[in-house]
This record gives sequence, structure tokens and C-alpha cells, in this order.
Amino acid sequence: MTRANATIKTFIIHNSTYMELSRIEMHDVLPAVFATRGDGGSEVWCHHVNFERGSRYLVSAHSGTGKSSLCSYLYGYRGDYSGRIAFGDTDIATLGIEQWCEVRSRHIAYLPQEMRLFPELTAMENVELKNRLTGFRSRTDIMQMFERLGIPDKQDQPVAHLSIGQQQRVAIIRTLCQPFDFILLDEPVSHLDETNNRLAAALVTEEASHQGAGIIATSVGNDVMITVDKVYKL
Amino acid sequence: MSNKDNNLLWRLLRKNVSAGQMAGFAIASLIGLVIVLLAMQFYIDIKPLFSSEDSFMRRDYIVLTKTVSSVGSLLGSSAEFSDAELDDLARQPWVRKVGQFTTPQYRIYGSLTFGGRGLRTYLFYESVPDEFIDELPEGWGFDPAERKVPVIVSRDYLSLYNFGFAATRNMPKISEGMVGMVPIQLTLTGNGHSETVEGRIVGFSNRLNTIIVPQQFMQWSNQRFGEGDTRRPSRLIVEVSSPGDKAIDEYTAAHGYEIAGDKADSGKASYMLRLMTGIIITVGIIISLLAFFVLVLSISLLLQKNSRKLQDLLMLGYSPAQVSAPYVKIILTVNDTVLVVACAAMLVCRQLFYMPILSSMGVEGGSVIAPIIVAIIIIGCITATSVYIIRRRVDKLMKQ
Repeated sequence: MTRANATIKTFIIHNSTYMELSRIEMHDVLPAVFATRGDGGSEVWCHHVNFERGSRYLVSAHSGTGKSSLCSYLYGYRGDYSGRIAFGDTDIATLGIEQWCEVRSRHIAYLPQEMRLFPELTAMENVELKNRLTGFRSRTDIMQMFERLGIPDKQDQPVAHLSIGQQQRVAIIRTLCQPFDFILLDEPVSHLDETNNRLAAALVTEEASHQGAGIIATSVGNDVMITVDKVYKL
Repeated sequence: MSNKDNNLLWRLLRKNVSAGQMAGFAIASLIGLVIVLLAMQFYIDIKPLFSSEDSFMRRDYIVLTKTVSSVGSLLGSSAEFSDAELDDLARQPWVRKVGQFTTPQYRIYGSLTFGGRGLRTYLFYESVPDEFIDELPEGWGFDPAERKVPVIVSRDYLSLYNFGFAATRNMPKISEGMVGMVPIQLTLTGNGHSETVEGRIVGFSNRLNTIIVPQQFMQWSNQRFGEGDTRRPSRLIVEVSSPGDKAIDEYTAAHGYEIAGDKADSGKASYMLRLMTGIIITVGIIISLLAFFVLVLSISLLLQKNSRKLQDLLMLGYSPAQVSAPYVKIILTVNDTVLVVACAAMLVCRQLFYMPILSSMGVEGGSVIAPIIVAIIIIGCITATSVYIIRRRVDKLMKQ
């Protein structure tokens, strides 16, 4: 833990030394709410699961099997589980606030199922809110992504006025506005038709490949059109 | 972060900021702070009036004598203090120091010539240790070679002469300054000697109802003219730790002592002043505390209402420090304003309400530094605590 902490601190002090998150390991992890139920035939809960940087995973789930719990554990905003989750060798339970901020803006990009856009801001402002924190994309990059996902005309509209499908695409663009080792997509295309699903999947895959990052997508039905290396049943 | 980014954060987080609650806090905090500051400043300004009202005797000194009763006189009970009584007095918790008045053991005949007329009378004087005189007049002390004796007299004596004696006898009135220029011939007689020394009045006392000469002179003269029998002290000067203390009255009453003059009353007045100041400052602090609770409640409510947004921002990777910044800024702005306005209000009230009166009494007023420092400390504490509360709550939002 101390070594990993030191590494992350080194990263913060010398911005050029990029600490890479090469592996996410889960050992016998079980959400506290499932403690009495057991793993329920899951291939993730109570198992040893390795997510490697550069590989692509689909976590296929039924409702109520803890899909969102999994995402919230990996993104550090919930800790109600037993077992151990590690980034590399570091148990994530030992990460401090500063380190989680670092993880969230440099190592894991996360698209929550409920998107968590700010309805009072425009689509572009929502994206900028993230990009100004990371300084990762140019304005042109962002406009190109809006074009590729077919919503170039929605940039300056308040998110509240967009359809769910459009919002989902804005959220995907926002998620891509940061460097990442893993991209965590919680039902990214649940409200997209096949064409838009394909466009979004292509954009995400391209960006992940470009950064050599891993993809972890969850789905309860409408699977994102990404060729994956491994499917886990949750 | 750029300004534009700050603007985005501000646009998101300003929602639910209640101007009414902030104004409520600011006004309450302002009132509390002004009360504390004004009370403190008033105390500092008016204190000289109590402590230097009598330049000779400080307010925390009392003069003790034994009560002279007719029965006691008949039975021959002594008006002098015994060693045992002195020891017992010195042991009292409210006593800091006990000094004895030394009386002369010879006869004194004083005469002065003024405006061509002479004034002759038998005199009496006493001495106290110099440490009981807080402001020693210039030239205090005695050198046997020079034979010049500085004297401090009660200001009442001068009034008595000017408004009583001089008025009825058609004699010129004299000012304090003039009195100092008039030499008094003191003829000391005793132990078979007689000698004349030159006395000069160098100071006046408002409340010490006697004539005081330096201790050195008293020792020298007693040795030379005294009959050799040492007399026990009949008057004591006592430095007390708190003049209004009830224990003083109880003790003196139980032992049949009397507190001379109004010194105890002045002590009580000063004690009351301190008590009142204390009460007013406490009220001010309570109002400030209530204001602080309004602020904390308002912050809590605000963070509660905006918790989802704050959480979303934290999810994007914003640090708690970054998302707290707009709220910290509001608090800093409001508190800095309160601080400046409170200090200004205190200074204005001081000038408007009581400084003219104090000036007319010849009191210049104390320093305003201490109350301003206290204001900075109070506002500093309120700000630091509120910022700490915000940060702790935002930190908690990192985990649901």
C-alpha cells in the first residue's frame, strides 16, 4: 500500500511520470447485501476475476444481480462488500480521497448507467466540465466526436431538452474526455438504436485501442457492439 | 482551473444558495460582533477613569482602621493593630500586601507665610511605604543633608482652605500649582531636640484623607525626635486582589475594622464595570454563536440540497477542495465583510456615543488594537470551522 501510495503521490508531484493501472483484480468479492444469498451462480461474485489493461470484457447481468454495485466498487464510491479488490497490488480500500480523484480523472473512465449529466448545462458545457479538469481533448476533438455520434447540432442545447438517447451519446463523449487505463461502461447503449450503438461502440473501441486501455461493459440485454475477449455472467 | 471552468462550477453549485439565510447570518453575526467589540473597547477606554481617578491611591487599595466605640475607649481597648491581627489579615485570600501607616513620635508645629499673612498650627502627618504610592510625585524622598520634605495632602484640605477659610478671612485663593511654591516651615520638637525643616507640597490626593511624608523622613525624624517607644500602627493600607469582594466586608465587620473613605465603593464600581462588561461581552458572544449556528445550518442545508450535484462532480474526478471552493468563497466574502463592517461600526459608535463625553473628562481612550484582533480571531474561528464542516461533508460524499 505504501509503495502504491508513493507511486500515486509521485504522479501527482511529477506530472510526467504516469502511473499505469495495468490490472484490476477481484478476490472473493461479494456485495454485503448478498451475504446471506451467496454468489447465486455468478462468475464474478466470490470468484477470482482479473481485468487486464488492453483486453475487453462484457459483464452480462440480470436485473438485481449487482451490476451497478460492481461499477460503484470499482469507481470507489461504495465500499459495502467483502473480499478484496486491487488496482495492481494496491487494495482499493486503502486509497485516500486524493488518490481516488486521481483514479477518476486519469485511470478509469466511467459511464454511469444514469449518466449523471447536469440538465441545466448544455451538452458542450457538460463535456467541458470534464475536459477542463483533465485538459485531455481539444475543442476540435470534442466537436468531431459530436459529429461522429450524430449530434453535432445538439452541442449548445441544455441537456434537459435532449432525448435519453442523445443524452447517452453526450455522456459517452464526456467519458472519453480523459486519459484512462480502463473504461467502465454501465449499460452504455441501453437507449440507442442499432446504428447509434454501432457508432458509439466504434468510437469507444477506437479510443480504448488508441490508449491501450481495457474495456469493461455491463449489459442486461442491449449489448454494446464491441467484440469482447471474455464474457462474465454476473 | 480556468475562470470559465469556475463559472461552470459556480453555475451548478450556486443553486440553493439562500441569500436570505446568508443575510440572516451576516446581520446576526454583525450584531454579535459589534456588541463584543464595543463592550471591549468601552471597557478599555473607560478603565483609566477608574484606575487613575486618584493618581495617588489605586482603586485596589483600602485603608483599614479599628472602629472607635465609646465602650471600647472606656475599657481601654486598643485602636492599634497587634502582630497577631496583622498576621491574620495578611493570611486572607483577598489580601495582596499590607502596609502600615507610620506616625510621628514628636510634636510638629507648622507655619507658612502667604501673601504677607502667616498661618501657624500644630500639624500631624503619616507615612506609608513607597510601594503603596503608585505614582510617586517628582522629588519624593528625603535627604537628611538637605532637610527638604516633600508632602502629599488631601485635595479636600485645599478646598477647605480656598472655599472655607480664605473666603471668610479675605485671604487669596491658591491653586495647586501655587501651593507647591509655598514653603511650609515644620518645627519638630521632641526628645530634647527642636529643629525646623522646610516642607513643600508636591502632590494632592483625592481620597487619602491625610498628610503623607516620605518613609525615609519619618524614620530619620522619629529616630532624632522620638522618645524611643515604638508605637503600633493604628491605620493599615491593604492592597486587595478584588475590591468588590464580599469577603472583605465580612472580614472587616467581624473584626470590628473600618474601611476608610469611599475606596471600597470605588472598588465596587470598578468591579461592577467589569461585571457589566463581562455580561455584555457574553451576550455578544452568544449572539455570535447563534449566528454561527445559523451559518452551519444553512451550509448543511445547502450541501444536502446540492449533494447529488456535488457527488456527480466528484464522480467526474473533481476533488473535494475544488467543489467546495465556491462555498468557501461565499463564506470568506461574507465573513470578511462582517469583520470590516463590525470594526468600522465599533469605531463609529465609539466616536459618536461616548468618546466626546470621555474627552471632556480628559480621558483620551485606549488602543483599538485589542478589540480588532479579537474580532479577527472570532471571525477567523467561525470561518475556519465552517470551512472545516464543508470539507468534511464533501469528503463524506466521495463515498455513498
